[in-house]
Amino acid sequence: MTEKNMLLALFEEVNRTALAVDKLRALGIDNEHVNVISGTPITEAMLGRPHQWTNVPRLAMGGALGGMLVGILLAFGTPALYPVYVGGQPLFPVPPSIVVLFEMTMLGIMLSTFLGVFLDARFPSYSPKVYVPEISDGYIALLIDCPAEMEDEVKKVMTEAGAESVKYAEVQPL
Amino acid sequence: MSVMAKPLAHAHGHEEHDHEAELRKEHLLLDPKPRGEMNAMVMDMMEGTSWKFWVIVAILGALVLWGLVYSWGMMIANGLGLAGVNQPVYWGLFLVHTVFWIGISHAGTFVSALLRVFKAEFRRPFTRAAELMTTFSLAQAAVMIFAHMGRVWLAYWMFPLPNQRQIWPNFHSPLMWDFLAINTYLLSSTMYLFLPLIPDLAMARDRSTGWRKKVYSVLALGWRGTEGEWTHLRTALNIFAFAILPIMFSVHTIVSWDFAVAMRPGWSSTIFGPYFVVGAIHSGVAAVGMVLVVIRQFMKNMTYFIRPEHFDALGKLMLIISMAWAYFFFNDFMVQWYGGDKWTDELLHFHEAGRWGWVWFMMLICNVAVPWLTLWNKTIRRTPWAMFIIGLLINVGMWAERFIIIPVSLSINRMPFRWGDYKPGVEVPIFIGSVAFFILLYMLASRIIPLVPVWEVQEGQMAHSIRKYGKEPVVTVSDLE
Amino acid sequence: MAKNHNIPEFKAEWKEGEEGKWGMAIDMDICTGCNACVAACAMENNIPFVGEEDSGYGRAMHWIRIERLWEGEYPEVKTDFQPVMCQQCGSAPCEPVCPVFASVHSQAEKLNVQVYNRCIGTRYCANNCPYVARAFNSRDYDRPEPLNNQLNPDVTVRRRGVMEKCTFCIQRIHKGQDQAKSEGRDVYDGEVQPACAQACPADAIVFGRVDDPESRVSKLARQGRGYKLLEDLNTLPSVTYLKGGSHVRNG
Repeated sequence: MTEKNMLLALFEEVNRTALAVDKLRALGIDNEHVNVISGTPITEAMLGRPHQWTNVPRLAMGGALGGMLVGILLAFGTPALYPVYVGGQPLFPVPPSIVVLFEMTMLGIMLSTFLGVFLDARFPSYSPKVYVPEISDGYIALLIDCPAEMEDEVKKVMTEAGAESVKYAEVQPL
Repeated sequence: MSVMAKPLAHAHGHEEHDHEAELRKEHLLLDPKPRGEMNAMVMDMMEGTSWKFWVIVAILGALVLWGLVYSWGMMIANGLGLAGVNQPVYWGLFLVHTVFWIGISHAGTFVSALLRVFKAEFRRPFTRAAELMTTFSLAQAAVMIFAHMGRVWLAYWMFPLPNQRQIWPNFHSPLMWDFLAINTYLLSSTMYLFLPLIPDLAMARDRSTGWRKKVYSVLALGWRGTEGEWTHLRTALNIFAFAILPIMFSVHTIVSWDFAVAMRPGWSSTIFGPYFVVGAIHSGVAAVGMVLVVIRQFMKNMTYFIRPEHFDALGKLMLIISMAWAYFFFNDFMVQWYGGDKWTDELLHFHEAGRWGWVWFMMLICNVAVPWLTLWNKTIRRTPWAMFIIGLLINVGMWAERFIIIPVSLSINRMPFRWGDYKPGVEVPIFIGSVAFFILLYMLASRIIPLVPVWEVQEGQMAHSIRKYGKEPVVTVSDLE
Repeated sequence: MAKNHNIPEFKAEWKEGEEGKWGMAIDMDICTGCNACVAACAMENNIPFVGEEDSGYGRAMHWIRIERLWEGEYPEVKTDFQPVMCQQCGSAPCEPVCPVFASVHSQAEKLNVQVYNRCIGTRYCANNCPYVARAFNSRDYDRPEPLNNQLNPDVTVRRRGVMEKCTFCIQRIHKGQDQAKSEGRDVYDGEVQPACAQACPADAIVFGRVDDPESRVSKLARQGRGYKLLEDLNTLPSVTYLKGGSHVRNG
């Protein structure tokens, strides 16, 4: 946690929030120092914010490959380890192996996407954080990290833009 | 006041205002309430349980004890002699009910994934109710799979792990494909249930106290709603929605291959894959309708979220799917009837005119006649109790379809000296126990899990608006992605 | 069926059906339907007695059955008796469908073996057997005293939940092979007899090596009267049925 306090400005709806973001940028506070917390997803386009990167798709692809490898092990590895002849079918049968490969690949995608969310968002995280319960009631919060001398000006600008409240962000257990 | 077609030239402010008000009354997504209020409504649904609820839970618990614990326990101790399987009908109601429950499980995925992919906005308030159905019905399918095994205590041998016996399961077998596919599907749909639930769990965490707050705090994983978190979640949901569809199709196709790869008259049919998938969606969507009628009737504040428009949309889907089912059934039937070999002929004759012929007719009436005679009518579609009955009849019809395919078809084979009949035994109490277990799980879940995905409803409400096109107020939906 | 030389030779290379080693020839023209083979098999292989009720419901555990095939109208009725047991298919449909490899093709004897202690009782093998040759242990059946004295120590008993079927008396095959090996010779043709062949008073069941063209069973199988059950299913059964005379061939 940084030593200086962060400011938390609460807005009721998205238009005012977008205006506030512009004003913050005009003050010289760049996108890196502003975070948006909301109860419904607000896309970056709505607020004029930079694109948010996520590793989830890459992790999903990695999981697909991992799953396919597991499928290959099951379909071709296990008969190699334990050869048992059944029903006039070859030891390494192609159509059943396709089924196994498909299912394991899909399982890999699903598991890695799910765990990817956990990894990227660093879930679960039960340490105290900056949060106010109003956010889940539909308010949009701007978490502003600005130098101490600019605090008053930021507060003024946020209130002008239509914030419900501007206060110091408190770290609390969720 | 009914809405009548009016020429654009009439510009009466009063009528336009009424039209807009009608639109808002009709469509949830045009009738937004403040998020705080919707949150309170959803929390209210979970808290405040009447004594009548607990009476029903107790009755269901007793049925579960009798059906699943006692009857199944007796069968494990005494063998499958208590069930109805014999030579040649080696598979009976246990397999029928396995396929039945897996069929119902396709409801959730269809509603939350397929409708999401097609951007059908009406899905928003009930995706979670449908996904819960999927998880709980897959649990019942697992019960039925374990129940049909002769030595169920060795079921873990199907699990591919290195072991000291140096033996692996047989991946040539459709039952092993089932094992992989059903487990993949179960895990995927549970994950797909949990991911969009996280923001609602966070909302519940913020609005509860005591033990509830502790439970939700743990389950919400520390969700706040930062940009990063939303991005990861929404990306994951998109991947899930697209990827779970091939899984859904593959699961019931693989289940159908349990029958289709076998060399039995009536089973060795190449159309079984898509036939079963469409059948599963048929029974699944009908079951979603039934569940929605019940929760709308008995849960507080549900009438705001689930409106006649949803039953209307579901009813149209049910009609189309019923037509698709009829198409696949006729494909299977016509081809066998026309060029059938002598055993297939015998089988078809037994289906229609044998001891279980009435089940065959019931299948056709419930799956085809009932939907086709009723669901074209808008009033019927918008009447919840009518949709419940139609949904129930469709599920009865789909149960009958699986009964015909499994025990009735197994009665006939290529060795007439070994044709035989099937009389169910302990399968019946076990099924009753599993139905009770399904309802029980659902009822208990409704006390803990917020049943309406409020953030998705609000997202939909944000995207919808009414604007004027000429003189007419029209509904617009924007793509907020 | 005469060979049509215009049709090219085709063998589905990917389907690795096995040529048999042990096989049977059953002469339906001399079978009297006396059921001695059924009784002998039950005694040799410790087959449980299921009782009247279960038997009536189709749960009899016999590994061999005598099918009665009627032809003609009264009073010109003719019966064919056909003993049917596991055909020990070279390309057995019961094998690939078992999820735990309880039904496998033995490489040494080239028989379809049912591994009782591996079976978890899913019964898929039985559904896929076109000859309906498999029996499932629905219960643990008692053997009240003194019937337990009749048990054959060479054959294990099976508990509830396990599938079983004819093994071509593999215990006798092994005994014969062990005997021959200890004497430093090969097994004579006719030395190994499964219980059904041994008990048949009409000598209608002949057992032996089908990969030896000079064995009695091979010679009988080559006769014009020979056919295989459900041959076009391509299961490659090891049992040849001999039926001819004035009867119309059954399919």
